[in-house]
Amino acid sequence: MNMESRPRKVPKERLLIVDDEDLIVQAMRKYFEALGYQVDGAFELEEAQALLANYEYDLVIADLRLTGIGGVEGLQIVADVHQRCARTRVILLSAFGTPDIERESYNRGADAFLQKPKAMMEIARIAQSLLEQ
Amino acid sequence: MIREHHALDAILDPGGITPVYQPIVRLQPIGTKLASLECLSRGPKGSNFEAANVLFDYVRLKREETLVDRACIAAALASAPMSVRLALNVHASTLARDADFIPFLMETAKQNEIGVQSLTVEIVEHAPPWDGVGFLKALDRLRDLGICIALDDVGLGESNFKMMLDVRPDYLKVDRYFVDGCHEDRDRQAVLRMICDLAAHFEAEIVAEGVENEAVVETLTETGITLMQGYLFGRPLSAADAAALVHAAA
Repeated sequence: MNMESRPRKVPKERLLIVDDEDLIVQAMRKYFEALGYQVDGAFELEEAQALLANYEYDLVIADLRLTGIGGVEGLQIVADVHQRCARTRVILLSAFGTPDIERESYNRGADAFLQKPKAMMEIARIAQSLLEQ
Repeated sequence: MIREHHALDAILDPGGITPVYQPIVRLQPIGTKLASLECLSRGPKGSNFEAANVLFDYVRLKREETLVDRACIAAALASAPMSVRLALNVHASTLARDADFIPFLMETAKQNEIGVQSLTVEIVEHAPPWDGVGFLKALDRLRDLGICIALDDVGLGESNFKMMLDVRPDYLKVDRYFVDGCHEDRDRQAVLRMICDLAAHFEAEIVAEGVENEAVVETLTETGITLMQGYLFGRPLSAADAAALVHAAA
């Protein structure tokens, strides 16, 4: 990773990463921790929901699909986030996004909907921009 | 790489649950006396589930209270100190749905040479509905065995007046929400007095949870509450530290 090209280091804000792929969670955790964020990772919808019930996050980055073909658990996470804490920002990621799902994501309150694959640096830039709003 | 195992598997694996034991003390005219230990559970080390609230919120969302209650009890009794009352947390839904739970509890206690009469089952519940008839039958069976019943989180969620009537507990555990700051809050004092009146009616004892300072102890004592639990009297202890505490208290 090219540390020089990363966005500037931000104050310690709490971030939750949700993805069923272990390596993605690990890689994103490492990247965002290096940027100064406090990062938790979750691999299942219910694990993310349990964390959201107990901690307040500044930002949630969640994969749309957590259970294989056809899953849209990320939409449930968006709903949960906004039910619990209106100021928490949510970025949804998906390799299977359709215009309908993207529209539904924004309707439910997602702050950004990004098509996978997306460079980590780009995700971090969007995250930082949302947190500064 | 997709994770091959869900977190639930890691929780249920041998060693997935680490038991810890928090003292419940009885205030004496001078000092305190160890009354019992509440068996608490921590999830797999290094996971989000080391935090008990996250662990049990997850378990409830997965609707796997029964499996995890059993795992927590097996872990707690396997390492628990002898010669002290042990309080075990059990979801009401487990008692209602799991017909084999009580034989499991008896067998687990026997394997660990713990008399069931030294057990208190603390009823917790967050998500109705469950089979009320099965639940009441299970309570009767526990009582027949000489096991005490406590109602956890009194005043919150499902630990309400209906639950109090259904359970008729030996102990009412008052949540820290009502205890914390009660020394400077007349409204909380009024709630505590009301719970004391109810406890007297049911011939139950009150355990105040979340006791963290002397001013709260004084208010609780004036209200008639003598069983207390909280960081002021001891944080959750490892099995070895709990055994040392019991030994020292003997």
